[in-house]
Amino acid sequence: MATDVLVVATEASNDGLARAATEAIGAGARLAGALGGELWVLAPAGVAASEAAELGAGRVYTYAPGAEVLSTVTEAAQLSSSRIIVVNRGAIGLDVAARLAARLSGGCVLGVTDVIVQGDDIEAIAAIYGGAARAQFRFVNAGPRVISLAPGAGEPPARQQGRTTEVVHIEAAGDARVRVMEPAKAAEGPRLEDAAVVVSGGRGLRDGENYGLIRELAGALGGMPGASRAIVDDGWAKPAEQVGLTGKIVTPDVYFAAGISGASQHMAGCSNARAIVAINTDATAPIFRYAHFGIVGDCLELLPELIRVAKERAASG
Amino acid sequence: MAMHIVVAAKQVLDPEGVNSYALWGRLTVDETQRSFTVGDVIPRIINAYDEQAMEAALRIRDSGVDCRITALTVGGGAATDVLKRCLAMGAEDAVHVDDTESDRADGFRTAALLAAAVRKMGDVDLVLCGRQGSDYDQGTVPGVLAELLDAALVTVAADVRATEDGVQVVRVTPQGLETVEATLPAVVSVSNEIGVARAPSARGMLDARRKKPAVYDSAELLTGAGGGVEVVRVFVPDVQGHCEMIEGDTPAERASRLLDALAKAGVLGGH
Repeated sequence: MATDVLVVATEASNDGLARAATEAIGAGARLAGALGGELWVLAPAGVAASEAAELGAGRVYTYAPGAEVLSTVTEAAQLSSSRIIVVNRGAIGLDVAARLAARLSGGCVLGVTDVIVQGDDIEAIAAIYGGAARAQFRFVNAGPRVISLAPGAGEPPARQQGRTTEVVHIEAAGDARVRVMEPAKAAEGPRLEDAAVVVSGGRGLRDGENYGLIRELAGALGGMPGASRAIVDDGWAKPAEQVGLTGKIVTPDVYFAAGISGASQHMAGCSNARAIVAINTDATAPIFRYAHFGIVGDCLELLPELIRVAKERAASG
Repeated sequence: MAMHIVVAAKQVLDPEGVNSYALWGRLTVDETQRSFTVGDVIPRIINAYDEQAMEAALRIRDSGVDCRITALTVGGGAATDVLKRCLAMGAEDAVHVDDTESDRADGFRTAALLAAAVRKMGDVDLVLCGRQGSDYDQGTVPGVLAELLDAALVTVAADVRATEDGVQVVRVTPQGLETVEATLPAVVSVSNEIGVARAPSARGMLDARRKKPAVYDSAELLTGAGGGVEVVRVFVPDVQGHCEMIEGDTPAERASRLLDALAKAGVLGGH
């Protein structure tokens, strides 16, 4: 029996599919190829659905933007009888993937870094303990294997301009139990995820007021401020500034970690930076294992100097 | 009638301890390949997200809502430490689902046992739990639990309030904060953005000592395994580990040398 793969590509805007969605389609295509199955894609009707066809979907299931996602995904999974369901990363992982797996008597692994094909089945590897270790999971039920990918775990497939395919539109009944009262406002201005320079602070700042130094250095370097989970919990920095497994995943050219010990949870959000700079009083702090450049010292002494030098250099040229 | 809130909490190996062992190359895997050998030396603590779920429950009470809070956990005998913590923080009751066979990596089995326990209690309006366990970091329990209870699901909450006929939740999404309202019964998973959980008071700790958790037998709650996934093996990935230390006599000198080094490495343009 061939094993078909359904990719749930919900991360999209009016311009088309987001990177999270195209990476998921790439991973789905690879699995469908390895397992000799078909590649189905569920995407919002419109530009995103056309794009899914150009990326190689055998059939595209579409839904109207705003439709309730869980019932839409459930219907697509049932219509396509897919054994493997790749859900693109994003809020939908926690909201929909596990619930879908339970509904269809399957299993679910989130934040998958690697998928291993074993005969006609798959096993999934995911980060555990905040990224300090990995676990390889197998699925124990007959139902669908539902996975969502960690950033970078799939490569977007090559686009075949103008390719079209069969389209099946789904109109699922909504779930009135959860109503959005105030939608998230798309952040205005630059996004932390896109910043070339990110300056993050942690408990080594010792006081919430000192987070101002982080903002100031970020500003002086033309970058953006970030924060460890600990100081977001303390209210020193905003939730949107949190970098880490459960915060933003950033990929700047240079990442400054000032007064951050380097817990895996945090490093999961910044380890893809081209260069990591660690400033910490504790020479044995884990952060120095990840860092490319390090200063053993008090960030409260170093940050003002870094700000001064950065401003001087910016002014001189 | 008082709102009945269940806080589902689990015990985890202190993730910071696991983290340190991993970084210093001392996190080793046992002969089963499925768990680490550090289980006896790293302390077990309440999953921090679950502790923050407990905090969310207490804030609902603090807001003046008439409510009863029951702490619920699944696991072996040591798991009851988690319940003591919740009782000391202010939970009225505690229920221990005794399940020594439980593979803690399988959120599906855990959720099936939690759902059965919640059904046995009968009158639960709201289940609060952490967004994910800080051991396996999967976050599948809230979704599976909501499905099994046929309840509304709201994940990654930064704020939870009781309304006349439901809950209003501010949730953290990749796009920013979103406010939703859900009907009851509901499962709400709580994230760290809610803030630091309160410490138990001295009075709370005294009270907790007098309370004994009710014990539910997992075999009675669940026929069949109820599972969804199983760990085949665990392992530790490599860390890069080449750090160029920037020296200097004064902070000014080191700051200057650091920015020079970054410019030379081509990662800091224009400076």
